[in-house]
Amino acid sequence: MTFYRELIKGLWRENPIFRLVLGMCPTLAVTTSVENSLGMGMATLFVLVCSNLVVSLLRNLIPAKVRIPCFIVVIATFVTIVDLFMNAFAHALHGSLGLFIPLIVVNCVILGRAEAFASKHALWLSLADGIGMGLGFTLGLAALGACRELLGAGSLTVWGDIKWALEGYEPFLLAILAPGGFIALGCLLGVMNHVQSRLAARSGRHVTPPQHLDCRHCVMCRFGK
Amino acid sequence: MKQTLRLISVLTVICAGAGALLGWTNALTRDRIAAALREEKLGALRAVLPVYDNAPDRDTVRIQTGGREWTFYRARRNGTCVGVAFESVSDQGYGGPIAVMVGVTNGMVNRVEILRHAETPGLGARITERPFLRRFEQRSIRDTVWALRKDGGVIDRITAATISSRAVVDALKKGLDVYLEHKKEITEDAPPSLSPQGGVKNGATP
Repeated sequence: MTFYRELIKGLWRENPIFRLVLGMCPTLAVTTSVENSLGMGMATLFVLVCSNLVVSLLRNLIPAKVRIPCFIVVIATFVTIVDLFMNAFAHALHGSLGLFIPLIVVNCVILGRAEAFASKHALWLSLADGIGMGLGFTLGLAALGACRELLGAGSLTVWGDIKWALEGYEPFLLAILAPGGFIALGCLLGVMNHVQSRLAARSGRHVTPPQHLDCRHCVMCRFGK
Repeated sequence: MKQTLRLISVLTVICAGAGALLGWTNALTRDRIAAALREEKLGALRAVLPVYDNAPDRDTVRIQTGGREWTFYRARRNGTCVGVAFESVSDQGYGGPIAVMVGVTNGMVNRVEILRHAETPGLGARITERPFLRRFEQRSIRDTVWALRKDGGVIDRITAATISSRAVVDALKKGLDVYLEHKKEITEDAPPSLSPQGGVKNGATP
């Protein structure tokens, strides 16, 4: 039961992108198409699961003083492995993600989960957390990528030849440019918050948003709990 | 002291483990990566060169000029040089360097492909589309003024992407200049196993 709870919390309640708002660099940079988003999401999922497992295994051996360097070494190792394997077996995808694969090292989601979860929980819970958070991250990226690709290029490319294109659609270029990333993310966050507050109101826990939208007093992100 | 030693030893052990794992991964993927990189290059060469039966990426001429090294790939059919390809980079792009692969045959530009670019999607990135690249193809290297029509040449630019268009022309022109200047060296020496005449004649027509 606990395993299941840790697994699904990353999908919605503690979604890394829309709830924790972590890992914004890849979120804004690679979501220009669904294919890139999925590639990035899967790479992050792999690194997250592996680093969670290793950190959880070593959690009693690593002294608190050197835990951050240890976590970083573990994470960087798995990122390099992903980088090499992707270069060897999915060369085209590696080309289009480019620099953002090595940059997974500095993705806050991964260090955040290692520090906040894996270093304090048993192996199987850390595994569930890694899979859940990784899938949540992937789905978040894919949702954002789908919005941007559909608006900005008029197509949906899931993987290689599995794609749909809108006929006669004049692409709204802004959506796949850098500012489009911010706008799309902002709109999706707004929709998520609206849905959350609706759900909370329906379940009888109505909370009025604070007058000044200040993170310290806002309770929006706790609506779902 | 004992505490410090423990910190050092734990970190050392973890780093050594990471190193071992990475070494193993590298050994596992090295050949595949080399093959993928070669396949990528051959794909670009196949696109810009006429039909050939050798391995142009292994039949190359290197020329040092203007502070950089140029590599010319020679395509042969039955030992006869049927075309030459080269990669050229322009740093005049809007979003960064633009790398092009150019295939030359019989004194004409055969085909042009964009290898790498970082131009704006939908605007400058349209340099990768065939209708634009076709404007360079089947033109005589010597008799064409390699510049945009706007700059007194013959190439039509892409609307709203003058800088990107100009950068592609720049890359092409730089490479073609080197090619013309060193044409003899590039097309003349045939690989030792093949007849020397074949290599000279066909490729040398201006």
